[in-house]
Amino acid sequence: MAASLLHTVIDHARRAPEASCLLWQQTRWTYGELNTAIASVAVRLQRLQLRSGDRVALLLRNCPQYVALSYGVFAAGGAVVPLNAQERASVLARQIEHSGCRVLAGDPHHPEWQRLQVALGSSDVQLLPVAITDDETSVEAFCDGAAAAVAEFAAVDMHALGMLIYTSGTTGRPKAVMLSHDNLRANTAAIVQYLALTSSDRGACVLPFHFSYGNSVLNTHLAAGASLLIEDNLAFPQVTLQRIADHGCTGFAGVPSTFTLLLGRTRLHDYDLKKLRYVTQAGGPMPTSITTRLREALPNAQLFVMYGQTEAAARITYLPPSMLETKLGSVGVPVADTQVTIRDAGDALVSTGQVGEICVRGPGVMLGYWADAEASQQALRGGWLRTGDLGHMDSDGFIYIDGRAVEMIKVGAFRVSPQEVEEAIASLSGVQEVAVTSQPDEVLGQSIKAVIVQAADASLDERAVKAHCRQYLATYKIPKTVEFAAALPRTASGKVQRFKLA
Amino acid sequence: MSTALHDQIRSFILENYLFTNDPSALALDDSLLGRGIVDSTGMLEIIYFIEEQLGVKVADQDMIPDNLDSVNRIAKYVQSKR
Repeated sequence: MAASLLHTVIDHARRAPEASCLLWQQTRWTYGELNTAIASVAVRLQRLQLRSGDRVALLLRNCPQYVALSYGVFAAGGAVVPLNAQERASVLARQIEHSGCRVLAGDPHHPEWQRLQVALGSSDVQLLPVAITDDETSVEAFCDGAAAAVAEFAAVDMHALGMLIYTSGTTGRPKAVMLSHDNLRANTAAIVQYLALTSSDRGACVLPFHFSYGNSVLNTHLAAGASLLIEDNLAFPQVTLQRIADHGCTGFAGVPSTFTLLLGRTRLHDYDLKKLRYVTQAGGPMPTSITTRLREALPNAQLFVMYGQTEAAARITYLPPSMLETKLGSVGVPVADTQVTIRDAGDALVSTGQVGEICVRGPGVMLGYWADAEASQQALRGGWLRTGDLGHMDSDGFIYIDGRAVEMIKVGAFRVSPQEVEEAIASLSGVQEVAVTSQPDEVLGQSIKAVIVQAADASLDERAVKAHCRQYLATYKIPKTVEFAAALPRTASGKVQRFKLA
Repeated sequence: MSTALHDQIRSFILENYLFTNDPSALALDDSLLGRGIVDSTGMLEIIYFIEEQLGVKVADQDMIPDNLDSVNRIAKYVQSKR
């Protein structure tokens, strides 16, 4: 069986210890230094008596320490649970409890860190604080004496759980995708292949590592022995672009809102981006106008339009850049060793051109959802992953996305369950009923709209609702629009008609 | 020192991102990104606020954390451009 992600990185560290690996702010970590940092994490986790298969939650923004922790957990035989750094303490605590994490490693300066400790209460989760302030970014500071010489890392059981990624879900029923080490390896290898990544490449990642797309950008560059410029936000696009130019990056990954932000207030022509040979886009459909402007602004870069899902490790299809014109609107063909079929509700294959549910089979497809056999069975029927996405396939085998079979709002590239937002709002005193839907958004593609029926004696206003949401929901899940209504539109059977709310 | 300009900036952020009118919820030196108060699109909205409500055009090269990542920094930047 092929080498795990961990052992591939260790192999690079042995062959080229001085090669640049991670670039962040003023810091550069080589592969040799990353190897040392991984070893130090393994030592610290062993001191905490982490056992094989134990889960370790990570709560920190994109930084080299995140990478060391993630691979260090693999080295210690554990499974990584990357937490969404934008979530609130109550949700994070629920996910840590749900996944039975033994250890929480995170940034003690994270705005939710203190509240999270309180929320975890008397649980036996052990804390591993990792400071990531500007003056503590060196490998020596990170290892803090724990860099014992670990000559050999134990073999990784490729079928064992490697990562548990929370996708969405209500507080009552969190949904965590179980990915094996082989899921991660296989999907990483497929992406490295079609992007033709080599050790000469230098990617730039602004996408959060806790998100499967960001995770795949990280893993693919490490697997190729390439280097990665790490950014943790796109709040200052000019600063990010200057860094990409200064570091001579060859690749850049984004979601539609990334490119909308980049093209909105910046002039890409002002930056020396001639080394940029590829740009990848996933995370939902991008308006054709943005695609056209992006190609005009970066004529030397190949644009890869892609489609994927956390349930398939990350990537399911990609559109070869040479087909961008002839197959405009398509998300392309399946990645290596992966099959895609389009099926109806009865699992039967539909004809070419007919819309049905996109189903996937291949080595990247998840093991299932953590502690949820029912949801796993629904998603994995007859050996095929039911994505919940509607699509069709043309006569050349190219796939097109036609919508979602499952109600889900996509803010930027983040999936948001309307039920999760409804649950949060419903817990506010004075709310009799609430329904949440999506509305078009110029930058994010979709934003959230809530329609509320107040109790007879209530006098809520928009600010009170948003303030309440802010306590329980990540910022991007807070409704942009809050409206009040006398009643919600319903079908004859009483089901709320969300489409009438938009 | 808090001025009318500081108050105007703080009020905008309190109203639009923290959904409160309690000034104690946001210190003048608090990092807007570090505290998770705004994200990338929120920062873009703050730039529009500076341009439309405060009447200062934000040049591309000025869109850096030193000018925009706290109430104090925004106020200092705006004052320097007026």
